[in-house]
Amino acid sequence: MTESKAAAMSNRPVVTIKLATTSDELMQCYMLRAAVFMGEQHCPYWEEFDGNDYTASHLMLYVDGEPAASMRVRWFASFAKLERAIILKRYRSFGLFIPFVNWAREFCRKKGYRKAYLHAQHRLWPIFERMGFHKVDDQVFHFSDHEYGAFVCDLDVDERTMPTVFTDPMVLNRPEDRLDLPGILEDSMDRGASNPHAEWTERRAN
Amino acid sequence: MSTTALSIGGETVTTKLAMRMEDSLQAFAVRAACFIGELDVPYSEEFDGHDFGATHIIAYVGDEPVGTLRVRWFQSFAMPERLAVIQRFRGHNIGQLLLERARKLAESRGCNMLYAQVLPADVKYWEKQGWRRLVAEDASAGDKRIVAVVKAVDPSKPLPAVEAPESVVLRREAQLDATGLPLGTASN
Repeated sequence: MTESKAAAMSNRPVVTIKLATTSDELMQCYMLRAAVFMGEQHCPYWEEFDGNDYTASHLMLYVDGEPAASMRVRWFASFAKLERAIILKRYRSFGLFIPFVNWAREFCRKKGYRKAYLHAQHRLWPIFERMGFHKVDDQVFHFSDHEYGAFVCDLDVDERTMPTVFTDPMVLNRPEDRLDLPGILEDSMDRGASNPHAEWTERRAN
Repeated sequence: MSTTALSIGGETVTTKLAMRMEDSLQAFAVRAACFIGELDVPYSEEFDGHDFGATHIIAYVGDEPVGTLRVRWFQSFAMPERLAVIQRFRGHNIGQLLLERARKLAESRGCNMLYAQVLPADVKYWEKQGWRRLVAEDASAGDKRIVAVVKAVDPSKPLPAVEAPESVVLRREAQLDATGLPLGTASN
């Protein structure tokens, strides 16, 4: 029996994790955060939508196609920062959090990041410690009504496959959560290079 | 008629129509907080495909978006729906402020009837605000999950009695395009 057939026959929910790549998926991400942070935790709008959403990558988790969890990743020079991780109330007993964080870590690792960093709410410290995160220092700080500690986790980057400036250029052009699969720009290579704008530069030169 | 507070905690209460993408996101975020976060409505029911054919009104306390109302436009009536006010700002008649803004907007468009679908438990409240049942209570059969209520846009020109059967006016609007629904794309 094929895997998809087994999945179709089982009544277990199908969980999918992906990078948000369309405006619909981005909207789903924002609405889940509004539901949890504004609706449940009473966070003001301007604290939740803090201006950093458009410099970040957003990860989406679906249960049977329904948006269920999201996470934001921001990219600093030497580490990736996992933040704004939420699971919608009705999906909280599904054991989704650890696989979701693991997917995020794997995503950062494949991009060549050696450290995943996060601010953990005090109540979640034991969970992150079990997952291999450790505290950066003894500092405890607070914002938006919660106490936090900074945690970091070392990621085992594969020197041979991590993206560098010497990686195949067409690999760097691929969708970032599917660097091992051909992307749409590789299909465009069939059209050849007609350099349609070359004459613009010639005109400017004359 | 109830009076509407014009300021809460020293902050001015204002309403505006969503004109830019950021405005719409604020309207959607308030609905997500109330309907998905508080009432546990699934995302795909809350964002049902009608948001981009509707007008969104947003209420602010200072610069914080705290309430929203969606108005859909039909040939013979305007339909306010998806009324939401963030929990800690309730009790200040922000809902009425939004509905009044919708009424004025309908008036400016030459519309003469407002139509809404409300929960049976809320009918008394709506009646106090000048709405009436579309179909008299004794004329409808059995328990209803939703009740259609109407209100004249211009209070000096009361609505004529409407004789549409409830089964017609309470039906769900056909989805414009089922494949265009904003469901998660993961299963596609």
